[in-house]
Amino acid sequence: MTVTPVFGEFLGPAGEHISAAVSFRGELPYDAQCGVVGQLDRLVATLARYLTDLPDGPDLNRRPERSAGTRNVAARLALGRAAQNLHHAAAGTADAVIGRAHPVVGHLSAAADYLAAGRDLLHTHFFVEPTGARTGASYWAPVITSGPVAAALLAELASYAQDLAPWITRQSGARQVGWGKLTSAQLALRSAEPWLQLAGMAIQAAQRAHYPLPARSLLAAIPANAPPPRQPPVPGAPACELCERIPLTAERLRYAAFALADRARWPATTSASWRRDALASAITSHASELILRGLAERASQLSLEADLQAQMHTAACGMARAWKTWRIVTDQWDIATTGHPRGARPTPVATEIGDLALQAGRLAYRNPHWTTAYGNASLIRDPAGLAQSPGDVIAVLAAVHHAADAIGRIAAADHAAVLDAVGNRLYVPTRLLPENYDIPHPYAPAPRAYVDALLRAYDSAIDATAHTTTALDDIATAVDAPSSVLAAARQASAAARHEQHRQQDQQSASQPHVLAPVPGRTEQALRKLRIRDPALLLRAAVIDQAAHDLVAQARAAAHSRDIVAGPASRPLPAVRRNGDRSARVASQDIGTARAAQLSTPRSGTIKPGISPGRSHPAAPGRSRRFAR
Amino acid sequence: MSDVPTASDIEARLRQVSGLPETLDASFDAFEAIRRAARDCQDRVPELFAAFMMTADAAVDGREALTPAPSLPPTSGIEPGHAGTARADASEVADALAALAAVLRDRLIGAAALAGTPDDQAACQDAAEAAGRICQLMTR
Repeated sequence: MTVTPVFGEFLGPAGEHISAAVSFRGELPYDAQCGVVGQLDRLVATLARYLTDLPDGPDLNRRPERSAGTRNVAARLALGRAAQNLHHAAAGTADAVIGRAHPVVGHLSAAADYLAAGRDLLHTHFFVEPTGARTGASYWAPVITSGPVAAALLAELASYAQDLAPWITRQSGARQVGWGKLTSAQLALRSAEPWLQLAGMAIQAAQRAHYPLPARSLLAAIPANAPPPRQPPVPGAPACELCERIPLTAERLRYAAFALADRARWPATTSASWRRDALASAITSHASELILRGLAERASQLSLEADLQAQMHTAACGMARAWKTWRIVTDQWDIATTGHPRGARPTPVATEIGDLALQAGRLAYRNPHWTTAYGNASLIRDPAGLAQSPGDVIAVLAAVHHAADAIGRIAAADHAAVLDAVGNRLYVPTRLLPENYDIPHPYAPAPRAYVDALLRAYDSAIDATAHTTTALDDIATAVDAPSSVLAAARQASAAARHEQHRQQDQQSASQPHVLAPVPGRTEQALRKLRIRDPALLLRAAVIDQAAHDLVAQARAAAHSRDIVAGPASRPLPAVRRNGDRSARVASQDIGTARAAQLSTPRSGTIKPGISPGRSHPAAPGRSRRFAR
Repeated sequence: MSDVPTASDIEARLRQVSGLPETLDASFDAFEAIRRAARDCQDRVPELFAAFMMTADAAVDGREALTPAPSLPPTSGIEPGHAGTARADASEVADALAALAAVLRDRLIGAAALAGTPDDQAACQDAAEAAGRICQLMTR
């Protein structure tokens, strides 16, 4: 069964290779020294890139005037200086034999490779906008930028830097009295070592100051942004196999639901897809209730903790409420519709959500060939057939947890799409309306009462599903189920959203922090004074960075002021000569170019909100098959 | 004595109608009657919850397939009916729905051959597919 790679598969080996490298106690030959410099150059540069990717700490945006003084910035500057020292030396030995064969060089090279690949994995969860801003491309994106995950990453980076720095000290010939006997590679290492030491301390301090609760297991569990392969239901699959397949199916659906959130609008999605999603959600939740009741009973038979039994019973009751609310949603879709455009294809979620219902059903019922057909109906599984051991109880629980989580995410995406459809493309068949509705078209706009009932049904279903998922989050966390990562991700994501909203409220015009690549005036002044103490130089660099940020912020403010003041204060001769009064008024708000467009007479009449030539196949006013 | 047509009444109507508009009219009502019966039965037996839910959904698919057919009359004026009864148990209702869906499928396949326009033909074919699904779902 192919599984999507996770960040931990890169982080773990990277740490192991660094540990292996720094465990070397001997003296490296010159060519290996050169190799170490080259690989350390790559490694430190990668660490610096990780730091650049991290969101600025909470204090950074809360007090932008002091942003450059935070330890995260200090760490980035220190790593940058270490990288500069190594890079110059590495460039100088590029043509030399650089001792790749030495095991230490191999370990450092592998660590740099793993860290770079891990960073690439994290980057799959983001789009880079033309402005350079990063936008989430998956439901994992807010998890990655959340405080607990940033903390875990900072802790890892700090440990690498702190492992490497003392080892570099030994390898740089620090015990030798004079500089004259050092090789060029040792000189480079000696120059980089204090910066790396400072970086390690600064990273650790930043983590402790800003993100006190690292979530290393969540960090390690972050998958690449690629859905796992589809898991077509296999007739006769045993419970243990179903418990492996359900999480993968749920994960595919989560990916599809995220993609759907942007693409669910007209004309791609029809009510047939939403109806199918609701139907499968009802069937999956119904089966999940049966499974949870069986698990609660099995937990009692196995003499597991009474609290766990009670929690499972509560979750089963919540699941019962969930499927009943989903059933009501399907009832509402019996009447409301977007019409039946030929060629409309179901969404990817609607195409595959049946897999989840089938797998959940096969876990709930005795017949391993169970389907939704009457002919394959079956009695409910015995609790012992569901889970033989306590470990099985946890595995089955995790499967139900994954299914509930996926249903919740799909529900949110569908609800948003349905809200979008309300008012312009929800109809009812006129044949189903009372006879006093004399409408000579097969469809009529859905009466408000139908629409309200549909939206209320979705609200209830989403609420019930969220309530049950939270209950399952608690159980999974308590028993350390594999699905507990869902609970951790949900918490981290909620925290990230909360922090993002708070920051947006507090200040909207903060500028991205661009670290000065070269020493600034203060640092240069210290260097002219032949100050070589890295701690002092770092303080100088931080001061320079603060000045750099302050000037950038002031420039941005001045630029914004010019934009606001400029066009409004200038006359608009063409508009005033030819335009009507409304165009002149509008021009004061929206600028010259747009105002000129408004003032130009156009042939034909354009109704507000309707683009000329845009196809609205199901809009009442544009098809004879729909009532006006 | 109820005036609401039962499964056998609906089946008899389907067998008696001739011509495309009448067949589409009776078929639309048959799908609606199946939907109502399936909804009434879906909570009766936990083991059959999924089967009746899926049947109701397939009935909506069939009804939606027919709705835009150009030859479908605006309204029949006939109460669509209910393809089950409150007193019948779930197995009996399933049997009745399977039988009704089989007739419905056959009539729609025949209607597709009679259809003079591609839209009517496509509507009949899609609806026949939905009726076939109901038949599969409800067959014991």
